[in-house]
Amino acid sequence: MPQFFLNKRLIILLVSIIVLVALIGFSLRERDKLTWPEQFVKDTTGWVQSLVSKPAGYIAGFFENLQDLQNTYEENKELKSRVEKMASLEAEVQALQKDNNELREILGEKKSLRDYQTQPATVIGRNPDRWHEMIIIDKGNLKGIKKNMAVITANGLIGKVKSVSQFSSTVQLLSAMDPKNRISAVIQGKKSDVYGFVQGFDDKEKLLLVKSIPSGAKVEKGQTVTTSGLGGVFPEGLLIGKVVDVKTDQYGLNQTALVKPGADFYDIQNVIIIKRSMTQPAKKDMSSGKEEEL
Amino acid sequence: MKKFLLPLLFLFLFIFESLFIQFLPGNFLGHNRIFVPRFLFCAVLLLTIFIGRKPGMIYAAILGLVFDIVYIEIIGIYLFLFPFVTYLISKIMHVLQANLIVAFLVTLIGVGLLEFGVFAMDLLIHVTNLDILSFLNLRLYPTLMLNAVFLLIFIYPLKRFMEKYAILGRDE
Repeated sequence: MPQFFLNKRLIILLVSIIVLVALIGFSLRERDKLTWPEQFVKDTTGWVQSLVSKPAGYIAGFFENLQDLQNTYEENKELKSRVEKMASLEAEVQALQKDNNELREILGEKKSLRDYQTQPATVIGRNPDRWHEMIIIDKGNLKGIKKNMAVITANGLIGKVKSVSQFSSTVQLLSAMDPKNRISAVIQGKKSDVYGFVQGFDDKEKLLLVKSIPSGAKVEKGQTVTTSGLGGVFPEGLLIGKVVDVKTDQYGLNQTALVKPGADFYDIQNVIIIKRSMTQPAKKDMSSGKEEEL
Repeated sequence: MKKFLLPLLFLFLFIFESLFIQFLPGNFLGHNRIFVPRFLFCAVLLLTIFIGRKPGMIYAAILGLVFDIVYIEIIGIYLFLFPFVTYLISKIMHVLQANLIVAFLVTLIGVGLLEFGVFAMDLLIHVTNLDILSFLNLRLYPTLMLNAVFLLIFIYPLKRFMEKYAILGRDE
């Protein structure tokens, strides 16, 4: 009799492992949409979360404000000095923008990769096990959020929309390790720009890795890294961070830049979702119309 | 009405975990330590220890599934690990007596097992490439510390609460 029970347990274990592998395989593959039960569960919990997290946010904000009061004096001094610079900068930006528009009109190019619309959203949850770095925001399909849109805070890019349900969506942060997550980035140099891919995150040092930089290219400390807009999903010119260090790859063919992200991946309350105006052309527009044989 | 208090407690803990991590400062006790709140799972284990295996396993499976869908988006990791560790713990409790100190230690062991299980699975599906030493230093020890503090404070209230309302739900 005990033998029989042992077998039964073994069979249950084996069957559950098979089911487990099937489920993981199902959810790991590239999915355009979540299934409706998943969307339903996410929306329901999202609703409860937004009920709880907004008051909690106010309370936390209150304490933060109290803390901020302590160093108001020094902050004020620094901000004043910045405001003076700001006025001249603003005038310059306006002149440049006008220039840019005129030149564009002459060229007949109205749209650029830089154009986008924004949609603000509030963070209502965060993945508690920090393996898969994800946050949940309170805007979904009904507000026009689509998969793969860029998500930023005031300080720079933080990630992209991973999945969308009707009233909430999930954002995968740049600090998540996902081999499929590659963002085309540009390192702005004085003479010429250098292109690479944001691909991976150093957990110990908290730095982003920008890979696939050609070995001849000159990258220096302190250069600014932004999105390039060439990946087809993100617009151009969203701040990613600043270069801290440059390393040569394993085989000496490429370089990897270590980039300190501009945005803080831990203290996120409000985010902005970026909808790129210029859409990617459909596949059939890019080729001659017929599927090319490979 | 009182029947729903236990599920409500679990729902509260489920959401509280995410709130906790959202409002925990990033540089809390050293800038790259990762404190993972496992309050929900602690409560499930306490339920298993003080009330019984069957309700424990049922809660573990349901909560694991919801956790996977809402937070992880990979169905299967917690759906499997929650009930599995719960089952192991219930086996251990066959030998041991269910008093507060034993429950505290066994629950911590359960949390450690869960962390190891998740680490192994994430290594398998390439979500992480952390080596085992950094895993221990950056994740396991801080996580065990955090949950030990949580348990020290809440183990007695949780025990009282469960004994009062879980048995009530079972009778009806």
